Amino acid sequence: MARVVLKDLTKRYPGGTLAIDKLNLDIADGEFVCFVGPSGCGKTTALRMIAGLEEITSGRVEIGGRVVNDLSPRDRDIALVFQSYALYPHMTVYDNMSFGLRLRKFPKADIDKSVREAARILDLEPYLDRKPGQLSGGQRQRVALGRAIVREPAAFLMDEPLSNLDAKLRVQTRAEIARLHQRLEATMIYVTHDQVEAMTMADRIAVMNLGVLEQAGTPQELYESPANRFVAGFIGSPSMNFVDMTVADVDGTVGLSSADGAISAALTDIQAAAVRRLGSRSVVLGVRPEHLDIGAPADGGLRIQAVVDVTEFLGNDRLIHASSGDYDIVAMMDANEPLKVGDKIVLGADPRHVYLFDAESGASVAAA
Amino acid sequence: MAVIAVEDFEREAPVAPPGGAGGRLRRHMGSLLFLVPAAIWLLAIVVYPVVATVRYSLFNETATKYVGLNNYKSIFSTNSILLTFRNNVIWVLVFPFFVTFIGLTLAVLSERIRWSTAFKTIIFMPVVFSLTASALVWRTIFDTDPHVGVVNALIMTVHDWFSPPGAYPVDTSAGQTVASLASTGLRPGPHGTLLSTSTVSPGRTIELGMIGITPATLTALNAQRAAAPSPTPGAVTGLVWRDFSPSHPGAKGKVFPDEVGLPKIRLALVRATGGTAATTSTAANGQFTFSHVGAGAYRVQIQSSNFTAAFTGVFWLGTKSLTPTGQLSQTEQALLSVPLVDVAMIIAYLWVWAGFAMVVIGAGLAALNREVLEAARIDGATEWQTFRRVTVPMLMPVLIVVFVTMIINVLKIFDIIINMPPGSSQGDANTLALAMYNFGFGNGVHTGLASALAVILFVLVVPAMLWNLKKIKG
Amino acid sequence: MTSVAATGEVPGGGAAGLGRAALRRLRPSRWVINLVLVVVGAFWLLPTVSLLIISLRPEGLFTTSGWWQVFTIPSQLTLHNYKVLFSNGLAPGQVLDSLVTSLLITVPATILVTTVASLAAYSLVFGRWRGRTTIFLVVVGLMVVPVQVGLIPVTRLYRDMGSWIGWNPFGTIPGVIIFHVAFGLPFGIFLMRNFFMGIPLDLLEAGRIEGANEWTLFLRVVLPLGLPAIASLAIFQFIWVWNDLLVALVFLGGNSHQPLTIFMFDQIRTFSASYWEISTGGIVSIVVPLIVFFAFQRYFVRGVLAGAVK
Repeated sequence: MARVVLKDLTKRYPGGTLAIDKLNLDIADGEFVCFVGPSGCGKTTALRMIAGLEEITSGRVEIGGRVVNDLSPRDRDIALVFQSYALYPHMTVYDNMSFGLRLRKFPKADIDKSVREAARILDLEPYLDRKPGQLSGGQRQRVALGRAIVREPAAFLMDEPLSNLDAKLRVQTRAEIARLHQRLEATMIYVTHDQVEAMTMADRIAVMNLGVLEQAGTPQELYESPANRFVAGFIGSPSMNFVDMTVADVDGTVGLSSADGAISAALTDIQAAAVRRLGSRSVVLGVRPEHLDIGAPADGGLRIQAVVDVTEFLGNDRLIHASSGDYDIVAMMDANEPLKVGDKIVLGADPRHVYLFDAESGASVAAA
Repeated sequence: MAVIAVEDFEREAPVAPPGGAGGRLRRHMGSLLFLVPAAIWLLAIVVYPVVATVRYSLFNETATKYVGLNNYKSIFSTNSILLTFRNNVIWVLVFPFFVTFIGLTLAVLSERIRWSTAFKTIIFMPVVFSLTASALVWRTIFDTDPHVGVVNALIMTVHDWFSPPGAYPVDTSAGQTVASLASTGLRPGPHGTLLSTSTVSPGRTIELGMIGITPATLTALNAQRAAAPSPTPGAVTGLVWRDFSPSHPGAKGKVFPDEVGLPKIRLALVRATGGTAATTSTAANGQFTFSHVGAGAYRVQIQSSNFTAAFTGVFWLGTKSLTPTGQLSQTEQALLSVPLVDVAMIIAYLWVWAGFAMVVIGAGLAALNREVLEAARIDGATEWQTFRRVTVPMLMPVLIVVFVTMIINVLKIFDIIINMPPGSSQGDANTLALAMYNFGFGNGVHTGLASALAVILFVLVVPAMLWNLKKIKG
Repeated sequence: MTSVAATGEVPGGGAAGLGRAALRRLRPSRWVINLVLVVVGAFWLLPTVSLLIISLRPEGLFTTSGWWQVFTIPSQLTLHNYKVLFSNGLAPGQVLDSLVTSLLITVPATILVTTVASLAAYSLVFGRWRGRTTIFLVVVGLMVVPVQVGLIPVTRLYRDMGSWIGWNPFGTIPGVIIFHVAFGLPFGIFLMRNFFMGIPLDLLEAGRIEGANEWTLFLRVVLPLGLPAIASLAIFQFIWVWNDLLVALVFLGGNSHQPLTIFMFDQIRTFSASYWEISTGGIVSIVVPLIVFFAFQRYFVRGVLAGAVK
């Protein structure tokens, strides 16, 4: 078990493309960290650099206090679970799981013990003599996990290990991996493009975009205080609504309104101070669908006049798509809310739930 | 140590070539080492010789003296070498097209039968035979002797059906004539017949003497001693005999006791006024009878069919040209004639490679999107229209691959040429590859000429090489 | 369509109906196709059958009557020719000696090509050095180089080796093998590389993480997975070398042991060629590739499909 430190980790491809720009992250021993981001954001590249499968252009990777830049993958004491599982099709499950230990010339008895133990944990005992081709997707996935477990590595690396499973199995395996993490107390670095996966499993999430680490923090931190517009939009489902607002500083009260005036907001003092500090005429307002409700709060806050376009029934909740000027506002309502298409409504949100971002840089204004 | 390594990195250009640091180099060495045996092998035995051959082609016959482009000049000014280009051109023009066409036809047809696997196996089998064995097989099949070669045997059967061979074949090709067989009472008649010089009427006899008949023919026909015919009322009787007596050499016109009759001669009784009155043929002793003949004057005609030679076989592996070459100079003949042996070899080669074309095209056919074909049918295309307008265009890349492969193949054609034509035709069947071998390793070695021919061969396949590269890159 | 409408077969019928009717009329019946292909198949078999029959008929009958007579007089068939041919045993210049020589050339050449090509292809696909694509393109380019280009320089190279290292491969079986391997490599590397490209890189990376070095990855992961391609290449190469005449003719020189192709070639060239003897040798020479072909048909055809450029 080990601490993993990424220091100014940079990857530039021969063509000049900058895949990762100065990534800094300190992953504690036993921590479960998720890298999330849209495809092409560099998260997989980062993982492969930690694994030693990708050359490091500059910066360094430390595993267990040791700089491993120049070590080959096999000397880094890590295990990697591939998106494709990468099981050897010509070997049985047992051979797949024991391959690494056999290469390291472990005693046969020890190998057998480890493999059987891992198989027991993962419910793979009946399949040890089968070949990967004879297993279901979920079983293959567990073999891939098992192969990692038997090695007892300093860190587990996982590259979208659930993306090839169907939705139901994915939820199930998600829980299984979380359990595994608790049981092994091992450092795990997990790459996914699915923020729900990251939110449910991770101790800490690293959100990446275009090769840059946008923010790293606990799921709650990311949800409650996103560092910038990208993180705010990426974390949370459905995504946060964004509206371009003009700042009106009248009589010491800072108010915001959209171009056609259908959306307006009164700010808290702290927010107002931050906006003044920004000194810009325009600012981006963000509000999560689940924080919107019918009727504006009495003490100011956010007020949106809109017309209902579409309503989606989700069982417990109802998702409202309402148009306000040029904006399509999404709001999460109680399923019983009696709304029809064409209804003119007023949506409101508590000022605490209103996020403000610099229109140019996208950085959170409140945080600045 | 570790820290130093990191600093090393940071001092490097952003685009760090792999293998920059010692550790990384070691990691890459492993797989690079795997390339070494192949690299040595290819450099020494394939790449170096390409360069060396070009160099040798500029040297004399023993590779000791630089002669510039002389070898190339003599290649293009020597008829016996020039005709190798002609043959290669014939092969390239004819063979790839036909083999692709046959392959496509067989591939399409074999899709429609239940036993297509067996069929494809049968057609494909010759591909695994050595060309030497295939050449041997086809050399026998095209053998001139109809008792050996099945092609000539078939032609003989048809030939004999329409014109059965006579008992007394005249080899006109050897200068022998029917007229030369007439000895006594005979003169040449119309259309290769012999006609009695005198007329005869019923109740009279006539004696006709022939010479130039070999004893072997007589033995084979079991000819009996000639006996003078006796007159019969109402019938024309007579004798056809061999007018040569071993005891009286030179004495003609008289039937001696040691002379034999000529059996199985087909005769016609011709009216002096014209028209055939009766036909018959001679007995073992040469006698014949036309019975129940009306009164009048007749002549006896020995039919031309008696002299029809048996079919002796077409010299398929010979050098007879399919194109007229009479008026041409030697160089033009070398460049323009199309020897029959080329045709025979192309047929043999089609037999060998059609299976290859069929299998490759069949694989292409199997990979076609069936739905597109079905859409064409739904759109109202007939089977033929679908094939012509949809299947063939979609198969075009595969057809081109087969076509190009076969062009490369026949440019280098060697085994069949050295094995199939008999020695007398080999010179006319010669190709670049065979000429290269003969100059390089046959009698009268000329390293320079052989190398120049190899270079030409190489240059000819370069377009195919570039095409390959383009296909793989694109 | 017009013609169908004109016949009035489907008065006022829909377009689909018209198409089907036209189809039915234009499709040659199954029966005709079967018949045509039976004839074609028989025609294709005939030459091989004739070779077999000639080898099974007495020597004397060859020139006096056609081999097809056995269909009416089956009693002509005899194993006499084979007995005579094999009775000379392994004496040089005899069929059995040629059979052994062919094997001695073909088997090592096949093993070497598959091994060396697999290693090189591994390096080209899974190696992590620069210029792999360039090297591969060079290899593809070499694929069509005619062997004729190699003959003279390599003959001389072999002779030079005699003075450099005291061993002149010219006129020896290894000399033939070395040449065959070299000219078999480009296609071998091409075929193996294309197959290896289909092996997911993840498998190799998984192996690297598990602690395998390149050699282990090659032996334990890539080779087992590449078995079908190796089979294709081996069989293709086996038949290629087995059937070669030119290379053996040049590089075996005056060696008293000659492969089957040269055995046949010599006989054909003899003025009074004894066809019965060559035919018997011919049958012996095609039996081996036929066995290989029938045993591994699938793999051979795959090799042929891949090699449609050689």
